[in-house]
Amino acid sequence: MRRYLIRRLIQAVAMLFVMSIVFFLLIHAIPGGPDRVLFNPKLPPSVRLQLRHQFGLDQPLYVQYWNWLTQVLHGNFGYSFVDNQPVMSDVGARVGATVELFVVGMLFALVIAVLLGVLSAVRQYSITDYIVTLVAYFGISMPVFFFGLVLQEIFAVKLGWFPDIGRASLDQSGFTPLQVFEDYALHLVLPVAMFSLLFIAVWSRFLRSSMLDVVKQDYIRTARAKGLSPRAVFFRHALRNSLIPLITQVAIDFGGIAAGAVITEGIFAWPGLGRLFLSSLTDLDYPVILAMLIFITASVIIANLIADLLYGVVDPRIRYS
Amino acid sequence: MTRLLDVKDLRVFFRTREGPVHAVDGVSFHVNEGEALGIVGESGSGKSVTSLAVMRLLPMPPAEIKDGEILFRDKDLLDLSESEMRKVRGGEISMIFQDPMTSLNPVLTVESQITEPLRLHLGLSRAEAHDRARELLEAVGIPDAQRRLRGYPHQFSGGMRQRVMIAIAISTNPKLLIADEPTTALDVTVQAQILELIQRLRRDLGTSVILITHDLGVVAGVTDRINVMYAGKIAESAPTDELFANPRHPYTLGLLGSVPQVEAAGTSDLQTIPGSPPDQLHPIEGCPFQPRCPFVLPKCKQYPPTVIVGPNHLSNCWVDVTDPNELERAATRGFLPLRNINTSFLRESSAAGSTSSQ
Amino acid sequence: MAMIQSSPVSPPAPIELTPELTRKRRSQFEIIRDRFLRNKAALVGLIVLTLMVLAAIFAPLIDPHDPNAYNIALQTAPPSAQFPLGNDDLGRDELARLLYGARTSLLIGVTSMLVMLVVGVTFGAAAGFFGGWVDAVLMRITDAFLAIPYLIWLFTVGAIFSDGSVKSIVILIAVFSWANAARIVRGEFLALKEREFLLAARTLGASDLRLIFRHILPNAIGPITVIATLYVGFNIISESILSFFGFGLQPPTSSWGTMLNNSDAYITSDPLLVWAPGIAILITVLCVNLIGDGLRDALDPYMTER
Repeated sequence: MRRYLIRRLIQAVAMLFVMSIVFFLLIHAIPGGPDRVLFNPKLPPSVRLQLRHQFGLDQPLYVQYWNWLTQVLHGNFGYSFVDNQPVMSDVGARVGATVELFVVGMLFALVIAVLLGVLSAVRQYSITDYIVTLVAYFGISMPVFFFGLVLQEIFAVKLGWFPDIGRASLDQSGFTPLQVFEDYALHLVLPVAMFSLLFIAVWSRFLRSSMLDVVKQDYIRTARAKGLSPRAVFFRHALRNSLIPLITQVAIDFGGIAAGAVITEGIFAWPGLGRLFLSSLTDLDYPVILAMLIFITASVIIANLIADLLYGVVDPRIRYS
Repeated sequence: MTRLLDVKDLRVFFRTREGPVHAVDGVSFHVNEGEALGIVGESGSGKSVTSLAVMRLLPMPPAEIKDGEILFRDKDLLDLSESEMRKVRGGEISMIFQDPMTSLNPVLTVESQITEPLRLHLGLSRAEAHDRARELLEAVGIPDAQRRLRGYPHQFSGGMRQRVMIAIAISTNPKLLIADEPTTALDVTVQAQILELIQRLRRDLGTSVILITHDLGVVAGVTDRINVMYAGKIAESAPTDELFANPRHPYTLGLLGSVPQVEAAGTSDLQTIPGSPPDQLHPIEGCPFQPRCPFVLPKCKQYPPTVIVGPNHLSNCWVDVTDPNELERAATRGFLPLRNINTSFLRESSAAGSTSSQ
Repeated sequence: MAMIQSSPVSPPAPIELTPELTRKRRSQFEIIRDRFLRNKAALVGLIVLTLMVLAAIFAPLIDPHDPNAYNIALQTAPPSAQFPLGNDDLGRDELARLLYGARTSLLIGVTSMLVMLVVGVTFGAAAGFFGGWVDAVLMRITDAFLAIPYLIWLFTVGAIFSDGSVKSIVILIAVFSWANAARIVRGEFLALKEREFLLAARTLGASDLRLIFRHILPNAIGPITVIATLYVGFNIISESILSFFGFGLQPPTSSWGTMLNNSDAYITSDPLLVWAPGIAILITVLCVNLIGDGLRDALDPYMTER
């Protein structure tokens, strides 16, 4: 197990390293060259020439790369063109919001997906299964952002049950702690609903087929032959073994989940990293774009690493081999 | 001798899209206390379905038990509710299956899988169950039992996994152990060890055993009586030695004739039973063996009655295969009598199995 | 004791040549086709999709108005006799825009899929078949592409490099989706490579090229077709997401995605402008998915049946 861990760790680091080179090259590939990326276009040309020298842009590529890498590892991503603030502080201000959306959304999606998937498998070919499959189909075919718009329109605007945008009400003065909590919770509902739809659809179908596979296995027959109750057979043997492949699937989908977060934040004006990313693209605020790309890539790589570790913990065949 | 299990006229069929498949078509047999019964037949003969029916492990949507009684200690198992049956299953009647590689849950420790029935049927505490599990592993011949308990199935070889399965099966001291092709997926040497283990446990615990197999070599040394099944029916039933010495049903003759004989090597072709296995979707009228039987008569279109042909020896056939006239008639169809069949080698190899150290 | 010889019990009767025996066996294609047609959901998908494609092709016949003709006076007008779906934010005919938008969206979906397929299958087949360093190099390249989520790539490259034309979007989508397709195709080739019939053909002296085209490809065509179909839907959604956020098609080109971009602000005052293109996308992709799944089901049991 330890060897497996170390191997995966090394792979992850290597990947990050490779991607850093890719990004660095990307900077130099942009039309206009790296000065477009590093220097605010509003600066007068003479200043830019000075900065070019200062930043060592006339130095050989590998030296530049090294300088850049060390800066990045120190958290220095430069300054946003838009507000001239250090990129890291822009990022830091928004991390919390994204984490909130992400964690709640993922948990919600997982729980519902497991419930639906199991229900579907246990009652295979029944009406329940049929309905769940239908819902899953819609979820997969529906353009996610459209679903978000629909949710906004129906539940926020027409019915007024939930706020239409934002993470919290602008004015929370005079709110009791409970009301503050409620406020945050209400603002979460629609974004989470949109964010989780696609993955509920995909994971519930995945779990359904995983469960159907497991139930056919010989060890389930052995469990029944022991006289175990259906509930014991289900929870101790069937469910546990069905959930294990889901870990890998979630890891594979992580990139899509990140993208989903970006889109959700866009539609609901959620003050997180996704929205920052979108606005930086619209404004061509290169320092921020770059920082976001690095951040997203690192997240994907780390998420995959965590998934592999988790898998190793849960499946003894990996742990002891 | 009391009858532990008494199956009467069991009929099981499967609903398929093409129609009903008659897997078990009127089977009656019994198992006495402490005895070992062998059920022999080819794939599709209904031997596994019979045992699954006894355990009520058949998936009931496609399968249906149309008729019959399964009396276990004078209770009809078919009358029990599911929760009552669950007490019997694994507690009083245990079963082990063919493929040990896939019959254990790969993510649970061996200990937890052995203690499951212990805690369920015997109500043992975790500590008690742990001790008992260790004893069981030792009893089935797994060395270093204490450490092995914490292991996972993938760390055990095929033979050892089957031993673990046996440990699980006997953990609750069942009255009856059903072994469905327990050695088919194992190497020959391991086969012998497993059979010898089953023998030993039977003697020590007094458990009755039903041993299901297609391999005559397996039953020869282990069983007291044998039922030969064909096309969902019992063709012949006799004490083991009697069956080998004095087979009376043409199908049994075919089976015995097809056992490769070392002495005959080089002198004759490998013997087979001509034709193909019966189609249980479209069963023919009368005796199912007709298309392949060298002794067939027009009378066979009516299913033959059960004839007592010896002590405790029953056969379902119209023909007396020891009658020289019948043999002559069969000879015209290409049937040749074999002088003798050496079965002692079968007995020897089973009993000789090395002492348990796998 | 008795012994049964291996000779037959009685001489076999002569076989009667019934019409059933002499009937020509159905070809592989026919079997699969029939199985697909029996799948009601897939059939519905196919019919509806065909109708949509026809509607897109015959758009001018269905609605003679010019989709780009704007008329401020009719801004966000509700449905009327002349304009069955009303008018959008610039007074243009919503129905016409929907029909012509179908052309763009479908065109982009299919074209990008074809480009992606060619590149992806080539890479994946090469990697899967040749293995070794070819595989290693190609896989590292695809890994680099896959390290960043697909949509993030699309947004970024779309925002920075794209000029908003259809060609640009097609290339964009194709460039970032081929990696995944290549990976899947590689998997298929790897699996097929190990099958016995390959070994048999090789032993008979078949050359690499022959092996690929005559043996592996026909078997891989099934899963590849399924992937291709599903990707059409996926690509349509990708384009619409891009256009919705403003990184995709730029005016005057329009698609369902750009329609959603325009109508987003009017969601409360004229929700029909949002619903129309959205539902259109949903139905199209749903049909494509049904067809793709139907193909998958039609092909799969056949594979295992052998």
